[in-house]
Amino acid sequence: MPIDRKHIGFSLPRFDVTVDQDRLRKFVGAIGASHDSVESGVAPSTYMKVIEGAGNSSREIVRALGVDLRRVMHVEQEFEYHEQIRAGDQLTVERRVADIYDRKDGALEFVVVDSTILRNGGQSVGRSRQWILVRNAVTT
Amino acid sequence: MNTQLETATLGVAVAEALYGPLGRDDLRRYAQASGDLNPLHLDPDFARQAGFDDVIVHGMLGMAFLGRLLEEAFPANPLRVFRSRFRNIIPLGQSIRCTARLEQRSADSVQVALTAAIGADDTLVIEGSATLGLRPAR
Repeated sequence: MPIDRKHIGFSLPRFDVTVDQDRLRKFVGAIGASHDSVESGVAPSTYMKVIEGAGNSSREIVRALGVDLRRVMHVEQEFEYHEQIRAGDQLTVERRVADIYDRKDGALEFVVVDSTILRNGGQSVGRSRQWILVRNAVTT
Repeated sequence: MNTQLETATLGVAVAEALYGPLGRDDLRRYAQASGDLNPLHLDPDFARQAGFDDVIVHGMLGMAFLGRLLEEAFPANPLRVFRSRFRNIIPLGQSIRCTARLEQRSADSVQVALTAAIGADDTLVIEGSATLGLRPAR
């Protein structure tokens, strides 16, 4: 079943995330980065995804759209960096469904999710855009 | 400051590294550390229901390796934009060859083309790009 286009513009309530040193260290370990990068306290480039995904927010969006998780693939990702993210930062995240469109007569649907990460509720630290592919079973 | 990014010829590979191979434990560790607990990367039964032979590697873990490549090769050049397209799945047990190629240079930034590839035939799994500043981070 196609995703209802009424979901374009759907947004999650803003949520707050504190960048925790321990979690950052675990992430750096999981991607095999060097210890120096942990000690510097600066988050690796893809850590923005962890921040925007806090509290299982990506799953929440998929659920709100009524999409079966088994049909979902993350197919594209873009980050824009305005300021470094560091351990101890108190950040606010806004996430919104920017677009939904389809290809191949609806067999492939794409959901575009935009996230903005703000410091102290105001200044932008970075932006993220994610493309999610939903593979639909098409009956002809 | 004079970095390789300011002097290298356009089109050449300016950084390259091999990461992995990645096993189930690596995916579990990444899932826990990132909070991405999608069972596609953890549960073989779920992966089969989704149409794959076994669990597959998080695309974001592949992208994290591309990020590492840039951060380790060019620590003085701040990332401004970083894009990845996940072109093919990354199966278990594969090492990932990450390459950055210099594409464009302007007065204060450079653009690199990124690829991540696996296997003897160099199957492309991620295609991306990044813009890096030619001045150190603030």
